[in-house]
Amino acid sequence: MRRSLAGSSAAAWGFRLSRVDCYPYYPITPSTSCSEQIAAWVADGAMNSVVINVESEHSAASAVIAASKSVRAGTATSSKGLLYMVEVLENASGNSLPFTIFVGNRATGAPINIWGDNSDAYAVRDSGYIQIFSGNAQETLDDIIQAYRIGEDLAVRQPAFVNLRGFTGTHTYEPVEIPGPKQVDSFLPAFMPLEPMFSPARPVTFGPMLSAPYYRRHKRNQSESLRNALEITEKVGKEFGEKLGRSYDIYEWFGDRNAKLVVIMLGESSGAARSAVSHLRGCEGVPGLALLRIRLFNPFPAEAVAKALYRAGAEAVIVLDEGLAHGDVFPPLALRVASSIHAHLGAGAPRLVSVIGGLGGSEIRPDHFQTLFNLADNVAKGRPYRREPYWLDIEEDPILLTDPSKVKPRLWKRYGDIWKAQPILPQYHRALPTTNYEIRLFGRAGQGAITSAVFFTGAGIEKGLWVLTKPTFGSERRGAVVHCDTLIQTSGAEPTRSFAGRQDMVCIYDDTIVHSAQHAPAAALKSDGVVLVNSSKYTPNRIRELLQLSAEQAVYVVPASRIARELQLGPYFNMAMLGAMHRVCPLVDFEDAIEYYKGNVPAPKEANLEAIRRGYAETTDRELETESAPVVNELAEEFFEWRPEEESFEMATLRSLETPRGS
Amino acid sequence: MKDMTEDEKPDRNGQPRVLPTLDHRKDYWVSGRLVYLRDKGTAAPSDSQLQSAAAEHLKRSRDPDHKLLGFPVVHDLHAFGRKPALEEPPRILNLAELASQAVDGLDYAAVMNEMADLGPDGRIALFYRDGKLLQHQVFEEPRICEDIARGAVIHNLEVKPQDVSGWRTHQFSIDFKGCLGEVCARCVRVCPENAIHLRGDGASSFCEIDPTACKGCFICWVECSRKSADCILVDGKVFDSEMRAAHFGE
Repeated sequence: MRRSLAGSSAAAWGFRLSRVDCYPYYPITPSTSCSEQIAAWVADGAMNSVVINVESEHSAASAVIAASKSVRAGTATSSKGLLYMVEVLENASGNSLPFTIFVGNRATGAPINIWGDNSDAYAVRDSGYIQIFSGNAQETLDDIIQAYRIGEDLAVRQPAFVNLRGFTGTHTYEPVEIPGPKQVDSFLPAFMPLEPMFSPARPVTFGPMLSAPYYRRHKRNQSESLRNALEITEKVGKEFGEKLGRSYDIYEWFGDRNAKLVVIMLGESSGAARSAVSHLRGCEGVPGLALLRIRLFNPFPAEAVAKALYRAGAEAVIVLDEGLAHGDVFPPLALRVASSIHAHLGAGAPRLVSVIGGLGGSEIRPDHFQTLFNLADNVAKGRPYRREPYWLDIEEDPILLTDPSKVKPRLWKRYGDIWKAQPILPQYHRALPTTNYEIRLFGRAGQGAITSAVFFTGAGIEKGLWVLTKPTFGSERRGAVVHCDTLIQTSGAEPTRSFAGRQDMVCIYDDTIVHSAQHAPAAALKSDGVVLVNSSKYTPNRIRELLQLSAEQAVYVVPASRIARELQLGPYFNMAMLGAMHRVCPLVDFEDAIEYYKGNVPAPKEANLEAIRRGYAETTDRELETESAPVVNELAEEFFEWRPEEESFEMATLRSLETPRGS
Repeated sequence: MKDMTEDEKPDRNGQPRVLPTLDHRKDYWVSGRLVYLRDKGTAAPSDSQLQSAAAEHLKRSRDPDHKLLGFPVVHDLHAFGRKPALEEPPRILNLAELASQAVDGLDYAAVMNEMADLGPDGRIALFYRDGKLLQHQVFEEPRICEDIARGAVIHNLEVKPQDVSGWRTHQFSIDFKGCLGEVCARCVRVCPENAIHLRGDGASSFCEIDPTACKGCFICWVECSRKSADCILVDGKVFDSEMRAAHFGE
């Protein structure tokens, strides 16, 4: 069953298919939707489990630990929630109790930041848990099922974390294959506790106090059983492939087998690295290169990683950490890779450079990896490089020197010689392809615009296309301008996760956004792109003027607000816009899509379907042929008046002189 | 059950799990977080009764628009038919032990090959329910120090008694002339170390402290029905207010 799911919902499916018996949770962004989904299933009777609404993450962890003595248990958390669990976490690893926690990775602040990085996972790396980093929603679903199998193996019997980057992973809608319950049952047997629950005939004590001689012997056993997870993860990954068709290894090698330059990283951001590797491979003047994505972060596969680098003959290794070191030599991943290659390869170890990036939801784009491979090439050639971490996207402290005037003067003393000795190699910086079809939606918050993009994604996925929708979050103040990106893959065999950032279609949900200099909606439109606006106020030509579009760029308008009003849908015009998107986008056939919408649109069903049909039919690149006065989207106007999006005084004056057509 | 596919439904073998209650006229069953009472001796509920009970519960927990009132409650009637996953701990055998006995429902050749591959630490865990083999797992024993149980779990009945006489700073004894014997036996019940035993029977019974098991916690002295007047002796003396002040700072 292939469906459009966000990462968190895929995690919920993972728990459901693993037949989790007990799920205590306390919600925290960005892993909330996983728990919400499970609570809804249990309330509706679709899932057979006990959900406990606890009062804090500390209690959630305590409950999940207690439950895991007797049944299969799980929960989800993020960021500070995970840090709040820390106090009790080691009770599970020390007492050998297997369960799985889904972590939507998020920054840990202060300052408060709700977006993705690995700080929370790094903070608990010494708590004795198995840690798996998933690369996408599909893997998250598969990894949760596998984590139960690995953790419950009697050679291991330890708890596990399944990590997915917040928002770019947990909130991106993408195609996910949901395996059948029977298939999963054949892979994952029923949970078997090692001690019967509350048996008066066989009383047991969990969590006893041990003095030094027993304590150290117990810890020796515990570390051995965690170490066994290396072998078991590999075995389980293979068996998963045999039974469910997708096999996994403890790390993923993407690129050339004899790669001189290797980038090592964790998790979802590796999607951007894959695009860069595919783009740069085999170019003239570029040696072999590869991405090494670590899937099993704890226990760390030191020997396997060192061997892989040795086999490939790697000369320079760049380790990208999405988390901080705070006083350490390197951040955690770089530290682990550095000690692995030092211990296993000694003098033959490749040179290692640590880079910090992606903090607090900072973008990790393919062009970052162009810079990193350029850096690796310089390092491999024996040029001087930093022995402390580099930082991505800090203009005052760049990786390669592009604009000396921006560099912080005091850093010249420390790094000046290194910067001067590091050339920028043009073969690494060829423009990335922009061949996939990309759509950017601008709407006003709440969730209307995002909902229509999610429907559009679902219809595309139903048709067999590779479609991703990545909403942006953070400014959901009611009435604020939000945007949402959708990508339809049209080139390349390898499913992509990386947006080029140049749009084929820009879809503007109300015409006040056209005036927003801050959002500049059409700034990244491709030269042959299309703009679609919900307006009965402006003509296409006027919009063309306002957005300063070229003659090749097309403009369509659709009176979506009027359609919604006529169908008595109130301010909910997003379904009409959905229909209009099909008219403009040639890739998702309208007749097929409407079949999908019939089964999925919310109530009132008929009116919404009619809105989609009318939106499709009434989209035009001409002036609207109608006698009636334009319908103004009052809510949007109100928000716009309240906080005009940084409109200049001149612009405001000009706009006040604007005569709406028809009045 | 809405949305639940046929394969997702758990087995419904066995009877509802009935637990004894303090009220001798009632039994109760537990389902999820809900406890149901019923009169003792009445028949177990049938499938259809369970279904209608679930429907009734669902109706009560939702408003007319089918929105949930309060937080989600589990309407898990299958739990009635669910038995505890395990009634006894798994039997864990090594290759030699497995070879010396017959286990029904086990593919011997495959399992023994697998265990032989793992070497001397190869083990098999056999999980039983109702005397039938439910599941088995071949694994490599992960413990290096095998005297420590997995997860440091203590199986209380297997713990050998220790001589803890070195822990205490005073000698405790019971003067059997003052002891009420089986009429009271309060100290026997409150002793945390199970160090006090009742000797003899009837009017001649008395309590006795095992000197190797007593850790000197004073609980029996505090709890004694006779207020230790002439019953529990500390260092051969009645534990008077002076000593009390020295020990408890009163």
